[in-house]
Formats: sequence, C-alpha cells, structure tokens
Amino acid sequence: MWNKVMLTMLAENLFITLYMTLVSTAAAYVLGMPMGIALVVTAKEGLKPNRVVYKILDTVVNVVRSVPFLILLILVLPLTRAIVGKGYGPSATVVPLVLAAAPFIARMVESSLLEVDKGVIEAAQSMGANLRIIIFKVMLGEARTSLVVGATIVLGTVLGYSAMSGIVGGGGLGDIAIQYGYYRRQEDLMWVTVILLVLLVQVMQFAGTKLSQKLDRRIR
Amino acid sequence: MESIIQIQNVTKTFVGKDNQVEALRGITLEIERGDICGIIGMSGAGKSTLVRCLNFLERPTTGTVLIEGRDLSAMSEKELRQTRTGIAMIFQHFNLLMQRSVLDNVCFPMEIVGVKKTEARKRAMELLEIVGLAEKAKSYPAQLSGGQKQRVAIARALANNPKILLCDEATSALDPTTTKSILQLLQQINRDFGITIVIITHEMSVVQEICSHVAIIDNGELAEHGTVEEVFTSPRTSAAKKLVFMVNPQAGEMSGKRYIRIVFTENSSFEPVIANMVLECKAPVNILLADTKDIGGIAHGQMILQLPEDEAVAARMIHYLKERKLIVEEVDSYVE
Repeated sequence: MWNKVMLTMLAENLFITLYMTLVSTAAAYVLGMPMGIALVVTAKEGLKPNRVVYKILDTVVNVVRSVPFLILLILVLPLTRAIVGKGYGPSATVVPLVLAAAPFIARMVESSLLEVDKGVIEAAQSMGANLRIIIFKVMLGEARTSLVVGATIVLGTVLGYSAMSGIVGGGGLGDIAIQYGYYRRQEDLMWVTVILLVLLVQVMQFAGTKLSQKLDRRIR
Repeated sequence: MESIIQIQNVTKTFVGKDNQVEALRGITLEIERGDICGIIGMSGAGKSTLVRCLNFLERPTTGTVLIEGRDLSAMSEKELRQTRTGIAMIFQHFNLLMQRSVLDNVCFPMEIVGVKKTEARKRAMELLEIVGLAEKAKSYPAQLSGGQKQRVAIARALANNPKILLCDEATSALDPTTTKSILQLLQQINRDFGITIVIITHEMSVVQEICSHVAIIDNGELAEHGTVEEVFTSPRTSAAKKLVFMVNPQAGEMSGKRYIRIVFTENSSFEPVIANMVLECKAPVNILLADTKDIGGIAHGQMILQLPEDEAVAARMIHYLKERKLIVEEVDSYVE
C-alpha cells in the first residue's frame, strides 16, 4: 500500500491540516484577541469598567465554549455554506474552527493580560498614558511571553478540532484517519496519521516554548 | 507665591460590600514650590491614598486638589493626562516594564507625549548619566538590584521634565545604605532641577534625612504639619510623638519611673553633655534611645534617658541639662 499515491495523499493532507490550523488560528485571533482585551478592560477592576459590555462578552464566550466542537460544526453549517459556498472541505472547516477558537482565545488573552503587574499599569497611568498606549505598549508588551505560550496551546487545540472535522469530510490528516483507518480498517494508515499529528503538536510546542523563552527578558 | 500643590478638605471613602472605609477625612495641606515634603504615617493611615489623589490615580470623594492653581477635578480626561505628564511618580516596587531594556523604560514616558525616537534616546542616556546607570542602558530590569531599579525609575520620572515628583514608599523595599543613596539622589534632583518632591513614608529617618517639611497623617486626618525642625523638636500630637520617639510596644515597661527626653540643638551637640553630667552627678543613667541626625545642615539629636531612682540626683541631672540649654521634658506621660 505504500505507493506513491498514498504518500502524495498523506503529504497533501498534512499540508491541508496545517492550512486549516494556521488559517483558523490566525483568523480566530483577529476575533478573539480584541474580545480578550475588551474583557480585561471592561471588567469591574478594569481600566474602563462597563458592566453591560463585559456581561455580554462573558456570556457569549461561555456559551460558545460550552458547545462541543462536533455539535458546533453541524450547528453552523448554514453559516458555513453562506460564507464558503459549501459545507465540506478544508476551507469550510475553517468557519467552525474560527468560531470555536475565538472564545477560547479570548479567555487565553484575558488570563495573560490579567497577569500583568497592576503597578506597572498604574505607573503608565501616572505618566499620562492613554488607554491605547496602556493596552498596546504596557499590557500586550509585558504579557508577550504568556501570550505566546497561550497561542501554542490554542494551536494544539485547533489542530485537534481540525482532525475532528474529518468526520464530516473536513479534509486533512484527521479525515484520512477516519476514512481509511476507521471506515476501511486500514489500521497502519491510521497510525501513520496519528503519528504525524503527534509530531505536528510536538513541533508546535517546541517552537512555541522556544519563542516565548526568547522573548522573555525577565530571566537571565 | 501660590503653593504648587493645594489640597483642600479632601476626603476619600472606599465603599466595600458591606462596609465603608474612610481613608481620608478632610485633609487640607499646601506644599510650596521647591519643597521636599514628607508625608508620614503608620501603615493604613491613608498616606498612599493621599498621594494618589495628587495625580488623580484616586479621585477624592469630596474636596479639591489644585496643581499650580488648576483644579484636577474640573479637567477633562485629556487635560488630566496632559497634567500628569508634569507630575512624575516613583513607587515602592519600582514598576518598571520588565520586558523592556533600561533605556527603553526611560524612553517610555517620552513615547507617551510623542517625542521623536532618536531624541528620546539621547535624553534617556543623559538621564541615565544623571542617576549613574549609563552603562546599564542595554540591561533589563531583572538584571538590576533594587537600588538600581529605583534609579532607573527616577530617570524615567525625570524624562518629561516634571514639576512635581511623587514618591510612594520609594525606599521601603531597599536596605539602609541603598535608601541613603536614593535619598541623596532625590535631594540632588530637588536642588538641581527645582522639582518639588512629595515623599510618602512610614520611616521618620527618611523625613529627617532630606525633607524640609513634614505632614503627619493619622487615621485619615492631618495630625501635624510644619517644617521638619518644628515637628521634630516639639511634636504636639500623640501621632507625631509616636513617630518621633519611635515608640515600640515594649515601651510600656517604662511606666512608673522617671524618664526624660532631651533634644539637642546646634550649640550643644558637640559637647559630651551626658558624660559630663554623669561625672558631675556621680550617678549612672540608662540611655534608652539615642539618635543624632543631620537635618538640613544643622546637627540635631534626641535621647531618652532613664534617671536614677534617687529623686534628688534626678532633679540635679534635669537641672544640669537645662542649664546647658537643652530641651528637657519628662516623657512618662506620652506612653499610651
């Protein structure tokens, strides 16, 4: 079975998995990052407390986070069709992946930003810094190590979700594992995809840890 | 000339879940341009809240704060931020940006007001030169000692040429030697740049070291205010006495016997008065507290002595000391 066709298929789907994971994570950050920042800023102890905004964001994040990914995948099919034009395939999978990852990212960003020393924020306020400077230069700057660690965790989770989407023909390594490994009982192929997924996670984790260490100026 | 800082009847009440804390209860205080004013009090007295009211990091519940005659509460957010660039602040835990180099930390306030990067870097280097840390420009805060971090914070505070420098327990996390050097630096800054300095502390020694004026805050109220000399030589309130005498709980043991507090003034601190007195009266005394300091260039000091049981000898000693123009007071009554 280890012919050229098989290997090409594996390579192709490895690429598809990477595509789904990276594109979804990037898009989800565009959505989730501002949500996370808004959660911190509008919280009771935040810089611009706003009960209504905070409560809405908090609820949305909790609700979406509590829907299992597989259910979400099916629930948002109409939306996926409206955006992508079809309900299956790698690009279609990106839609539910983004929707699932964004609230997760919002929480990750929120917790990273809450770790920032309040004294440093107070110091910036005492210098006359406005909200924009405090968010971008103080909070995000000081939390960068934690944000990178968070992004690594998010990547791993999105990769896992993307594999799940194989069940509805989402494409990628997960799809192969399900179609060939599970339905056709080609266990060796299933194991190969699993090993590839494990390797992917390892590489991401390694890169993420290295990057966060490289960015951290607190330990020398 | 009008005072640079005018605090008028400021109160601050923190509302908790089921209780209210009155941190400040009607403080009125003026600080003159060029002064180094110490605000001292026991922890929880409200002094940190008071200093945060001076740049509106805390908004007073009632009352007004005028900086150079301008009411902070009447300002828009933008005006307030603008005003804050002229009121620098340093902190007990330094509050430096840990992910930025020393140089970039000093540049930060200039980024806020939009100074060009090359210009900011040049000025930052000059400031680091002033605080004696030019060679650490490329280091990160985590690589510095506490004293060095506070020096960076001071350089950062000076970046936008402030008129006022607020110090919130700036030396409380430092050892005595480092404290001294930081205080000297603050004094130098006050002298060279004419910056008005407000120092929040719980240590009388800090006030004695560099302050010209002192305000004593006790339980949210202004207990006493005046020049350091005035307050130090003749503290009136119990809060002031407590801080000046540095009474500790063991002081209770002193009750029932005769104790005196002697205050030295400039003409007497060079003569070995106590030793001479002991020789003259031929009786020993127990020195319970002795503290001599250089306040504003004049030698000052105080001692608390336990006198002999013999009433006649004790009286002779008091007479001896008074003859030498020392301020002598019996202090058995101040113990709470």
